[in-house]
Amino acid sequence: MIGVKDFIGYYDWTFEYLRSNYGEQAVQDYWLRAISIDSQRHARALIEAKGFNGMEEYWGHTLAMEEAGYTFDRGEDYFRIDMFACPSKGHLIQRGLAAYHDYCEHCMGWIKPVMDDAGFVINHEHNHAGQCYWEMRRAWDLLAEPPPNRGPHDVRSLPPEVWQQEQHHRYVNSEGIEEEP
Amino acid sequence: MGWSAYGRPLVSAGDFYFAINATFRFIHDTYGKDALVDYWRSMAREYHAGVAERFRGGGLEEVRRYLADYFAHEPGGDVSVSLTERGVELDVHDCPAIRWLKDGGREIVPYYCEHCHYVSTAIAEQAEMSFTLQGGGGACRQVFSSNGGTA
Repeated sequence: MIGVKDFIGYYDWTFEYLRSNYGEQAVQDYWLRAISIDSQRHARALIEAKGFNGMEEYWGHTLAMEEAGYTFDRGEDYFRIDMFACPSKGHLIQRGLAAYHDYCEHCMGWIKPVMDDAGFVINHEHNHAGQCYWEMRRAWDLLAEPPPNRGPHDVRSLPPEVWQQEQHHRYVNSEGIEEEP
Repeated sequence: MGWSAYGRPLVSAGDFYFAINATFRFIHDTYGKDALVDYWRSMAREYHAGVAERFRGGGLEEVRRYLADYFAHEPGGDVSVSLTERGVELDVHDCPAIRWLKDGGREIVPYYCEHCHYVSTAIAEQAEMSFTLQGGGGACRQVFSSNGGTA
């Protein structure tokens, strides 16, 4: 009865179950140990072995399986995903589900440890409405500010009524920076 | 630079089974078996409350309809759903979860199959039905029946 058809709903509910029973740190521990290290070991293996090519191979497979609306962008010094229609957040929004207070944070919760261990940093921003970008760079290749707009496929080029909705969380060089209202 | 876009009809992502298996292991290894059972029962009471309401309102025909649709969206496996005089019988010849985990080379937690017992029993109780399960490890028979045992 716990299948993959409605996995996103259980997943969101599980975050809140852990938080309400064991505290917020338990959710962080869950993303690290259960998801980043255990469940997503295939992603770790690909990214640690192949770097940017491994990222493209992993996300090319998994985002296609999840029917995401997204683009890839590769530069010499970065690998980038622009998510126009996140399938997970979209599933929750369509069904009015929001058990946990910040579902979107689970991606940083499991991807950041993968990138830490593989020698990459993450530049990322999400708007809690199904749009986000991810730009991974080598760990020594730090930015002073969020990466420049990459063009029409950059999610930040979406109309303000789409991209600017809801609260934003932003990360530069894998570190959280100030939230935009 | 190369970029691509995707957009396809709804099909469930089988790799989510990896996360389900890992979630059971995390709760079991961190908080113990009783905590894992509480997780399953709580999920049935809270997350599946709407499913139980559908079953209570629509009876066994609604159970059959729900399960047939549910397993039609699970990737792989071989499951048949039928409404008989015993109730709604779910014959799992090749469990899609166990199949996906095995094919993915994952170590399946030994208590994986127990979640079906605990979750479905709690849903059935809310729907004023009964649930039984025989088998496991990739092949089992599950039956939802009206209290009294007949359809």
